[in-house]
Amino acid sequence: MSARLTHDGFRRLLEQVREAGYALVGPTISDGAIVYGPIAGADDLPIGWTDEQAPGRYRLRERGDRAHFGYVLGPQGPRRQLTPPVETLVRIRLGPRREQGPRTPEGVEAADEDGEPLALIGLRACELAAMAVQDAVWTGGPFVDPRYARRRERALIIAVDCLEPGELCFCVSTNTGPGVEAGASFDLRLTELGEEFLVEVGSERGQALIDGLGELAEPSTAQLFAARTQGVLAAAMELHGRERQLDLDGLPELLFANLDHPRWDELAARCLSCGSCTLVCPTCFCHRVEERAPLDAPTSERVRHWDSCFTDEHSRIHGAQFRPQIRERYRQWMTHKLGAWVSQFGTSGCVGCGRCIAWCPVGIDITEEVAAIRAAPVAPDDAEPVALPPATTVPALAGDPMHPQLARVVSVREELREVVTLAVEPVGVFSHAPGQFNMLGLPDVGEVPISISGQAGGELLHTIRAVGAASRALVALEAGDRLTLRGPFGSAWPLAELRGHNVVVIAGGLGLAPLRGALREMVAHPERYPSVRLLYGARSPEELLFADEILSWDRSIRFAPTTAPAVLESGHVKVHVTVDGAAPGWTGHVGVVTKLMRRKPLSAHARYLVCGPEIMIRFVLRELETIGVAQDQVWLSMERNMKCAVGMCGRCQYGPHFICKDGPVFRWDAIAGLLGREGF
Amino acid sequence: MAARPRLGVFKLASCDGCQLTLLDLEDELLAIAAAVDIVHFPEASSDMDPHGRFDLTLVEGSVSTPAQLDELRAIRAQSRTLVAIGACATAGGVQALRNFADHREYVRAVYATPAYIETLAQVTPIAAHVRVDFELRGCPIDKGQLLELISATLVGRRPDIADESVCMACKRAGQVCVTVAHGQPCLGPVTHAGCGALCPRFSRGCFGCYGPRERANTEALADHMQAEGVSAASLVRRFRLFTGWSEAFRAESERHDD
Repeated sequence: MSARLTHDGFRRLLEQVREAGYALVGPTISDGAIVYGPIAGADDLPIGWTDEQAPGRYRLRERGDRAHFGYVLGPQGPRRQLTPPVETLVRIRLGPRREQGPRTPEGVEAADEDGEPLALIGLRACELAAMAVQDAVWTGGPFVDPRYARRRERALIIAVDCLEPGELCFCVSTNTGPGVEAGASFDLRLTELGEEFLVEVGSERGQALIDGLGELAEPSTAQLFAARTQGVLAAAMELHGRERQLDLDGLPELLFANLDHPRWDELAARCLSCGSCTLVCPTCFCHRVEERAPLDAPTSERVRHWDSCFTDEHSRIHGAQFRPQIRERYRQWMTHKLGAWVSQFGTSGCVGCGRCIAWCPVGIDITEEVAAIRAAPVAPDDAEPVALPPATTVPALAGDPMHPQLARVVSVREELREVVTLAVEPVGVFSHAPGQFNMLGLPDVGEVPISISGQAGGELLHTIRAVGAASRALVALEAGDRLTLRGPFGSAWPLAELRGHNVVVIAGGLGLAPLRGALREMVAHPERYPSVRLLYGARSPEELLFADEILSWDRSIRFAPTTAPAVLESGHVKVHVTVDGAAPGWTGHVGVVTKLMRRKPLSAHARYLVCGPEIMIRFVLRELETIGVAQDQVWLSMERNMKCAVGMCGRCQYGPHFICKDGPVFRWDAIAGLLGREGF
Repeated sequence: MAARPRLGVFKLASCDGCQLTLLDLEDELLAIAAAVDIVHFPEASSDMDPHGRFDLTLVEGSVSTPAQLDELRAIRAQSRTLVAIGACATAGGVQALRNFADHREYVRAVYATPAYIETLAQVTPIAAHVRVDFELRGCPIDKGQLLELISATLVGRRPDIADESVCMACKRAGQVCVTVAHGQPCLGPVTHAGCGALCPRFSRGCFGCYGPRERANTEALADHMQAEGVSAASLVRRFRLFTGWSEAFRAESERHDD
């Protein structure tokens, strides 16, 4: 169904939308630009104005007519309304202030406040495409952000065709414009043709609005349809004829094959790393999650706010910064947007709107940068190529993945100096697979990812070293204290695939903790895992984690002391321990774990599980390569900056992977091309 | 109730504006006073006790005289957590502009009896002399960040104060870029956030009072400004202001200073 509207009819349409209870959001002139924000009605639209855009430059100009949508795009689109720059996720009721350390939580409340539904007015085809991309990020599963989902579902969308594309537009390259396709997600689609609008209805809601206009909505005419078709076609032709294009063909592969291209260094000399491109981009979604716990407030808030892969904090974890250089940050942005995105969400992250070009303070043009790399790709070298897996779809899970439960600390066991195992009792049934992790947190200090180091009855074990503020606070908890818990998250050790195979587990330091659950399973089931060897390295004998337990697994070790007599009978487990250094009296191995690997002949046919510091993992893999172990026989566990744990905050990205959701356990071949590469 | 952590506020060469920011926390002052024992705070009270241990010490101002250097070392020795507050303490402040000239000439020009003036050849931020646990930027500091600093220190975590560009704050606030839309020179891309994009919100380019952010690519920004018509002399003045003695801004101003 379609209709024609005069300017008066359109004005009345917006009044009707407002009367129906929607908050109007549309383009309006503010601070010398056409910004997208709250408007009262048609009078607030930039009637008679247009924008002129060039790299790093934006100016308003009067058109000399009464065009309502005669401009192209302002600095930000509806991303601002659908995922606000600062948003409270949950409120946590706080216990009393304690002499030392943070307060503990006493209750968690959802913070989502249902305001008026939004009427998003004047969205272009590229912005609808960007919304579809954001839908995939926030609601594409397995985790769904209920705040975004609800805003999106309730929003009324009045789209507008682009008949006068802007100077920086390249939507024909990305196949996202200039016309709004009939199948796109809109309630009404407007085409502004001179002094009137052709209106296409896209939903029942839209139909009701048109019906409500009565005589103000006249039947559309064949002439208007033809004018629209011609207008859209002319715009598309014009865009096709331009020099600025983005060739998406094979782009993910091209970019990941050119990670060491000299262009990145040239770019880094120009790029300010200010983050503007990412915050004007309609598809970027990276954010931080922080605690706001004012001094005397009875509640703290867990807040997310827009972040950017150009900031220092984005890729920093305690003691490590994975992307210190500007070249690495720009490369991360571009390889993600135009490359990894396809693996993650099945679509490019670019919709051709040109905002990142206009609003870059120094006018860097992403299309030029891509063209430069395409024109002179570096010759393939010996480096392992980065594998780009196809996007997969997973059914959505119910509930808010950011809403923690309050779990109780049942006991605290001191393992090593500054390392404890918290036995935590979650609320309700909790099932996990060894290798997965939980987000543990306290309201004053925030959350950290902690692997599950075992399960004892209804209690989940988490082995934690006090390194940063949050882990220090967790380590200081006492039995009876409560903490926030989200999980379980991430991939697990492939226990089913290991059945019937000889398994070698190689662990370094605290890297044994994420493996303990899997080891316990293999120890308990000799019929499934006929031969298990553990090669474990620690700094010193005093730093050997779970020493009593691991020695008890190997009955050939005579001084095996205390626990689990049933296990002692099994005899299918061999444990080899080495330390970097020891005081006199230590009769065991001394040296790094790779040295131990050379002393103990290892089979090329066994299956290998590896966890420890990344540098150790890399040396272990080199050793495995030497003895001819194929990459599909090895699994390892990785770590990056995880804040949301559900693939939405963007911080833990490792090439095409989210460590939180696709990892932390990866098969070697999945990440072989990334291991050891700087900036990932 | 356990003894509250002891707070000390000290000043070296400075205007007192950053200390005033603590007093500007009007709605939160009672909570702060309940959470910490304000032992020494000359801007607020003459009932002072500059001795003994401080759990949290806020130091405003830069080191300009030999006496201040001694004082700073004594403060450090008494402090568990020492935080430099403001452009003077973190970058030298506006008085560090004398570092670009001969301080003896200044003394002769300004003071009637220069013989009474004992001053160091260079004004320096406090981190040049003692270990600093955290630097709170700004001229003056932002009261929200100060409150966050105090709250975080009390529970032993690092303050949620991001070392990122002012552009991030502009974009979160929905502020239209003054460079792109109005052609105004702006130091926002290379400047540490924290002010809430105060100047851009009043349609004025950032003049860098929070000092350089990490990875401040001042060279790229200055080159671009120059291409847009900003003179070398103007670039020197822009980078040489409240935080002109910070390493990144100093290097950039010197690059354009013939």
